[in-house]
Amino acid sequence: MIHHLEITTRHTPEVLERVLRVIRHRGFSVQTLQTQLDEANAQVHLQVTVASTRALPLLTTQLAKLVDVNSVTGLSQVTTEQKLA
Amino acid sequence: MNGAHFVVKALQQQGVEQVFGYPGGAIMPVYDALYDCGVDHLLCRHEQGAAMAAIGYARSTGGVGVCIATSGPGATNLITGLADALLDSVPIVAITGQVATPLIGTDAFQEVDVLGMSLSCTKHSFMVQNAEELGSVITQAFEVARSGRPGPVLVDIPKDIQLAEIEHECIKHMVAKPEAPQADEIAAAKALLAAAEKPLLYVGGGVTLADAESQLRDFLAVTEMPSMTTLKGIGTIAPEQTGFLGMVGMHGTKAANFAVQEADLLVVAGARFDDRVTGKLDEFAVNAKVIHLDIDAAELGKLRQPDVAISADLKQVLPQLAQTLSIAPWQAHCTQMKQDFGWRYDHPGEAIYAPLLLKQLSDLAPKHTVVTCDVGQHQMWVAQHIEFDSPKDHLSSSGLGTMGFGVPAAVGAQVARPEDIVVAVSGDGSFMMNVQELGTIKRRKLPVKILLIDNQRLGMVRQWQKLFFEGRYSETILTDNPDFVNLAKSFDIPGETIVVKEQVEPALQRMLNSEGAYLLHVAISEEENVWPLVPPGAANDKMMEDCES
Repeated sequence: MIHHLEITTRHTPEVLERVLRVIRHRGFSVQTLQTQLDEANAQVHLQVTVASTRALPLLTTQLAKLVDVNSVTGLSQVTTEQKLA
Repeated sequence: MNGAHFVVKALQQQGVEQVFGYPGGAIMPVYDALYDCGVDHLLCRHEQGAAMAAIGYARSTGGVGVCIATSGPGATNLITGLADALLDSVPIVAITGQVATPLIGTDAFQEVDVLGMSLSCTKHSFMVQNAEELGSVITQAFEVARSGRPGPVLVDIPKDIQLAEIEHECIKHMVAKPEAPQADEIAAAKALLAAAEKPLLYVGGGVTLADAESQLRDFLAVTEMPSMTTLKGIGTIAPEQTGFLGMVGMHGTKAANFAVQEADLLVVAGARFDDRVTGKLDEFAVNAKVIHLDIDAAELGKLRQPDVAISADLKQVLPQLAQTLSIAPWQAHCTQMKQDFGWRYDHPGEAIYAPLLLKQLSDLAPKHTVVTCDVGQHQMWVAQHIEFDSPKDHLSSSGLGTMGFGVPAAVGAQVARPEDIVVAVSGDGSFMMNVQELGTIKRRKLPVKILLIDNQRLGMVRQWQKLFFEGRYSETILTDNPDFVNLAKSFDIPGETIVVKEQVEPALQRMLNSEGAYLLHVAISEEENVWPLVPPGAANDKMMEDCES
């Protein structure tokens, strides 16, 4: 299943590594990734599309625990096959 | 004041009186600051030993453990200890030196990307970017380490920042606000409890981490429901508590493993459905609804979907859930199972029987004796046959299963609790993993007792080879072990070897009564195995028992 994530983090040099490591370790693979630094150079906004057979809360609850992460929202995309089923 | 002195002052402001570590080039300014600052530093003989001593210190007290190492190999040697602390949720602050800022990324001498390595084995990590942020980073490190679900935090400090002059600043200690449970969640949980006919309390290490042992015992006193613990939960429930069935899981008691399969409600307090507890997950407690209580929301629904999930401070939740229950037939059934499936110590022959040895230790050791373990068969025998009245007295590497944990953890516990007896129960495989820490025991003249159970094998691996790999004993035969008593003697630690049952009690007395450190080397047969055993991939009620008898 495909999931869309919106993540806001503190801007630290390693924050992207932290987020990507958790996504991989918890069984999700990155399909697309966009990063945007805010004007104050203090926060990073990430838009990530991930694929996995696992349920999205297994990832979002782990991401939310990261000290640098301020907010996580997730949206799961239902595939055509699942709709038909 | 330079950055290094500032770090030490910041540690003192956090209440740190004891640190464990090993010096080296990139951390020398901090060691210079430690030289005459009043913080007690114990030199361990390997950075892994320092990390595990800090864990022993933290787990035996409930406080934060601090360890210090240099850059490069010093930091990499800490990593196993940090991973151990992460898996067992132990609050640790690790401070590492780093090469000077201009040299980072140049492959300088003893440079390694410690921040990168720390990502998967810490709760959080910092590389200090400039001297001005040192104060806030140290404060945050302690706050993160002990708040919510505790864990290890690493602070990597480049050498130029340790040497930079900075103004002293006041460091504020932040206190995290415990999360309060929602009223509707409490009501839903209480309704499930009231409706249950066969409720069972499943207690993990989280109860102690929440400092909620007395609340848990009060909850049991009111509900009188049968109960069981994980490996880390051992000691949370008083051994004499009515309906307490012992440890559940792969090497758990038959009573606990049968009861969990019969239960119609599991109240899970600070536990996480680890695979060593559940066996085959989709056959675990199939008849039970689940109330899952944990401060860490990521644990709720991770492996088992709960019917009621409450992410909050256990100290607040448990008193709100307590209510009297009408479950007399179930209580009687569990009590009967506990009686029917109790441990038996009537072992034939003269050879020393490890379960009986540990039962005798349990009977002879004074209350509040701390027992640390290594990993393997002896670790499970400790969990099964020693009775603990507090989880702070039972230090066992549970999540990571780190061989070599026992002796350095005992060092940390003995430093933290000098008035209590500390016994490291080890195996001949594990003991050799951090044997250099005998040097730390000698250096500080710590009265650590070591009970070394020696079957000249990597016993747990051998047991699995025997059961599941057709007896092909690949690399598990250790008949070339050193002379352990003489090895200890070279560190000024007296000891003796025993080989038959009748020697056990007087030898345990000599060990427990010795003023200083002592090594009791116990020879046992390699054929002794840990029973019962839930084989891999099986449900918990499909236990194997001693196939020799």
